[in-house]
Amino acid sequence: MRRRKRMDTGTGLALIAAGVAVGIAALGTGVAQAQIGAAAVGATAENPKMFGKGLALMVLPETLVIFGFVIAIMLIGKA
Amino acid sequence: MLRPEEMTRAVVVGSIDSLDVTIECLYELGILHLIDFTEQDEEFKLGQPLGRASGTSQKLLKLRAMIRSLEIESHKPAGRVDVKEIQAKIEQAIVTLDMNTSAKAESRQKIQSLIREKESEIKALEPFRMFIIPMEDYEGYDSISVFTGVCKTDPEPALRSRLHDYELEVNARKTDFAVALFARSEERFEAGRILAEHGFQEIKLPRLNGYPAEIISKHRVVIDDLEKDLKRIEADLESIRKHFADFIVASEEHLAIEVLKAETPLRIAVSANSFVIDGWMPTARAGELQTALDSLCCGLAFVETLPAEKHDEPPVKLKNPKPVRPFEFFIDLVSTPKYNEIDPTVVLFITFPLFLGFMVGDLGFGASLVALGIFIRAKFGGSPDARKLGAIIVAAGLMASLFGLFVFAEAFGVPFHPPEESLDEHSWEAVADIPIHPMLEKMHDVTEMLALSLLAGWLHLMLGYILGIVNTYRHNIKHAIAKVAWLLVLFGLFAEVMLVAGDATLTSETINSTILSPIPTASLEIVGIAVSYAALVFIVVGVVILPVTEGPLALTEVAGVLTNLVSYTRLAALAVGKGGMAMAFNTMFFPLIFESGNILLIIVGALFLFITQAFFVFFIGSLSAGIQAIRLNYVEFFLKFFEGGGTDFSPLKYERKHSVVTK
Repeated sequence: MRRRKRMDTGTGLALIAAGVAVGIAALGTGVAQAQIGAAAVGATAENPKMFGKGLALMVLPETLVIFGFVIAIMLIGKA
Repeated sequence: MLRPEEMTRAVVVGSIDSLDVTIECLYELGILHLIDFTEQDEEFKLGQPLGRASGTSQKLLKLRAMIRSLEIESHKPAGRVDVKEIQAKIEQAIVTLDMNTSAKAESRQKIQSLIREKESEIKALEPFRMFIIPMEDYEGYDSISVFTGVCKTDPEPALRSRLHDYELEVNARKTDFAVALFARSEERFEAGRILAEHGFQEIKLPRLNGYPAEIISKHRVVIDDLEKDLKRIEADLESIRKHFADFIVASEEHLAIEVLKAETPLRIAVSANSFVIDGWMPTARAGELQTALDSLCCGLAFVETLPAEKHDEPPVKLKNPKPVRPFEFFIDLVSTPKYNEIDPTVVLFITFPLFLGFMVGDLGFGASLVALGIFIRAKFGGSPDARKLGAIIVAAGLMASLFGLFVFAEAFGVPFHPPEESLDEHSWEAVADIPIHPMLEKMHDVTEMLALSLLAGWLHLMLGYILGIVNTYRHNIKHAIAKVAWLLVLFGLFAEVMLVAGDATLTSETINSTILSPIPTASLEIVGIAVSYAALVFIVVGVVILPVTEGPLALTEVAGVLTNLVSYTRLAALAVGKGGMAMAFNTMFFPLIFESGNILLIIVGALFLFITQAFFVFFIGSLSAGIQAIRLNYVEFFLKFFEGGGTDFSPLKYERKHSVVTK
């Protein structure tokens, strides 16, 4: 096993912040995707040609969680 | 590539007498995309269906009814039927077959409903079979109420203590009690309550005469007879099916084609003595039409061709080399490009496997993807969409395997060699020493991968804007300049990001010393972040041009360019995320299995590992990687240049699968 280093409080807080950044960003994405997804499925049911457009709109909010991820990586880098 | 098939406007004009032959000729060639005639005037009206249309439609209708009653909708004929044979036999065949099948199908339906009726009566009588009470005695009383049904528990003791006078028949069955209760009308509420307490469910008795046991056995005999009849009819239908299914299905196809042709005049302009057919055809094949008309119509019909004009919107037939063609699937999912637009299929052909390959980046999962693609093609080869999807998956899988082999050096989420940062991590070294070392460690070089993703995003977005410039410069120079402004903003943002990254990653270091080396590195510090003067100049110039060309609202989108750029970090995010998921599994199971030394455990464990991984990592990981790879194209890339809304090229033609024309 890797040797465990003693961590100072700042590093610990930074790591918690990294987790929170991804977690809350993912929550935002989830809330947004829930509604878009429902609407997209409805549209596709009426017209299968809408699948591509529906998919593009559906995955738009995923950028939010990516932002969270980038911030998390930067925080871990600083920690 | 990049441009759809070039189209030529073709106007076919001829004498009304040659309309029939001309339509025949156009369908045979299958290259003319008809423009529906709509503007009727005094001279030209919409044509009437050819004379044979109504007769043929009627026959077609009868054939389809037959197909339904014979239940041969999905019948695949063994061979093709000659059209001459169809034409010779169809009249007689329809008369005899129609008589046979429709009458038989009708009686089959009647018998089936009769059997159902008798069976439901038997079901209702069954509980009362043991009671020696004729059916007519269950009703018709003035002062007596009758309850028939089943109880969950025996109601007799309760009835005895709470009712004054009653007559009860109970038959204890396996799970319940069949009950027939005759109570005085004034006590019917109390009787109902008692029965309800014992879980009473009423059974409505059918109106019949005689004892239930007798009725049931009579019904059974009737059902037996009916079933014999049904079998006979089924056998008759089966023999018709056996002898005529091929012929019926082939005739249906042939007649459908005949009706299609006969109704074509409804879409074209016809005057008293002439007709005009307006349409588009691929320029490369423009000569064929005149030659065909000359030989078939004996000089009674002519073609006039015109090149596409600026405001025309010809139908779009994508033109790509064979390996690229499966990726047209992704274009079909969104929208057909306009005729004057760039067809981005070839870009998808490069970027989709590259993005997905980077995100999956694993020899094992890549090879599994290739296998999955081949499986889809083999299993669902009949559907063109499935064939395309299969080819796409194979291409993506190959790229993922290459990335897994040479860049990340790992298979099934396990690296070939333990990373330098943690030498005690599990690796394939336990099994074999593979002489390939990773260029990138998924779990340790995250910043490097982020920088690579940003670089990929920058190149992809630049290409998007450049395609946008190509699309717009001919008809709207202002929009083209706006695209240049966006390009400047993007360039400035990227230069700034690279300046901030500095020497932190190999990618940014290389970019700074090569592509961005002519740009001065002078910078000022704003809230602790170095801001490059040069980048600032690029962004400001872009921002100044934008309100002039696209209006002030465009300024709100400037931050969007940064969003777009950062959005590509999902490439790294997915790769790391999937790597982490695989690592979690492997830390748990890998030592148990490969370092145990027990051969049986290794085999069973490897299977278990394969199944769990296959599901969690391969299926979920690859699916989301696929969606993300296509999303980067649809959202970030397409929005820079793609409008879509073109018309698909659908020429007049038909396909014969079960019938064949012989000379």
